[in-house]
Amino acid sequence: MNTEPSQLITSVPEFLAHAILLERESVERYEELADSMETHNNLEVAQLFRKLAHFGELHAHEVEHHAEGMELPEIPPWDFKWSTPESPESGAMEEVHYLMGTREALEFALHNETRGRDFYAHVAETSPDPEVRRMAAEFTAEETEHVNILKSWLLNLTDAGEEPLEDLDPPNVTE
Amino acid sequence: MSSSQTVELKPKDYKSDIKPVWCPGCGHFAVLSAVTKALAHLGLPREEVALVSGIGCSSRIPAYVSVYGFHGIHGRALAAAQGLKAARPDLTVIVAGGDGDGFSIGGNHFIHACRRNMDLTYIVMDNEVYGMTKGQASPTTAPDWAKSKLTPHGPGVPSFNPAAIALASGATFIARGFSGDPNGIARLLVEAIEHPGFSFLQVLSPCTTFRPEQKEWKKVVHPFAEQEPTANPVEAAQRIQADDGMSTGMLYRTLVPVWQPDNVATTQVEALEGGFQV
Ligand SMILES: Cc1ncc(C[n+]2csc(CCOP(=O)(O)OP(=O)(O)O)c2C)c(N)n1
Ligand code: SF4
Repeated sequence: MNTEPSQLITSVPEFLAHAILLERESVERYEELADSMETHNNLEVAQLFRKLAHFGELHAHEVEHHAEGMELPEIPPWDFKWSTPESPESGAMEEVHYLMGTREALEFALHNETRGRDFYAHVAETSPDPEVRRMAAEFTAEETEHVNILKSWLLNLTDAGEEPLEDLDPPNVTE
Repeated sequence: MSSSQTVELKPKDYKSDIKPVWCPGCGHFAVLSAVTKALAHLGLPREEVALVSGIGCSSRIPAYVSVYGFHGIHGRALAAAQGLKAARPDLTVIVAGGDGDGFSIGGNHFIHACRRNMDLTYIVMDNEVYGMTKGQASPTTAPDWAKSKLTPHGPGVPSFNPAAIALASGATFIARGFSGDPNGIARLLVEAIEHPGFSFLQVLSPCTTFRPEQKEWKKVVHPFAEQEPTANPVEAAQRIQADDGMSTGMLYRTLVPVWQPDNVATTQVEALEGGFQV
């Protein structure tokens, strides 16, 4: 991750602006993915993404609570200080497909949560502001919990979630 | 739609409540995200924006955005959009569609929209295929792509170079984005919308269903060698010739007078009708 001085997060409002967007965009992406999977009749994965959106929503509320009464900076989407093309917990759209099984969906979610945790850990290490470092360490601990929950879900997965689904009449048979 | 807005809109507020039917993983989702982010960044009231499209998976985008929308006829998005802009110059008009819509059936409109230089933003979601009709070759398909039954040995003809055609036809803003970087597209879109004149934004937008190999694009896209756009068409032409089609960023931007009719009636309807009487 970038340790250039201009890329360091230097104040609590700046940090919370990042954290809120990270959490909100993650929720929106899971909702979008759940809708998309429902449309394509992959109901099991849709339900999983819906559940992740719900947990994300709870976490987003907590983060927003920290920012109550605070004026946050307006940052254009492309100027946020993460090194990923989108906010780190938003799963990349190109990584999903309509036949993905539960295992693949959980691995996708684990990857996103890990990127979120790594972002907070990086801020906890590099910010020149002690209050930002303290808050970022707190958020890192929470994200680590999410990562561990996803790992345990993956470990407890039954055979049913292992394989990608099958489509006997796939759309990509060209005419 | 209400005619005044006092609250600050977030990107989410520019999404309609219609859920996209695009395949999960389709690059067009990134363009939807970028459009909503650009509109929120510019703070444009929803009732002052119109999104006009043709036909194709990409052309479904007006349904998913909560501004005025027109989902028109295949290849005719630019014709409809120019008519709208001529009649309602106060609106921010954004045109969107696919490489099939814009470069095959709509190719002639593309050329003349570039040269007319109305104040429009044209986004082409280029996946080098006709996604909606199940995977036929488009003008930007490589000559040796042999996966369609209609062109079993590949189209066999060189692919269309959108940036070169746009430049030769007089476009005053040319840029390229990649759906793996929605925030990068949003940034280019903001520039494109703010540019007075015809702005052309090509977005490399993989079709996960009919061109699954395009998933590899994220490994080969790279920024243009020169960070800043040039205003010199000769320099732009050289950059286009040196380009592998995978460069992203702004290529060309210049200012020339925008074409906009003055919308002053010069005659009465009765007088016109009189001319048709036999
Ligand atoms: C006049 C007319 N001719 C042909 C078609 C069939 N048609 C529908 S969409 C399409 C091409 C879609 O490709 P593109 O514009 O690249 O969009 P994508 O679906 O790939 O996003 C075609 C040929 C049509 N709808 N109308
Ligand atoms: S067919 Fe291709 S272009 Fe159409 S929605 Fe699916 S992935 Fe996107």
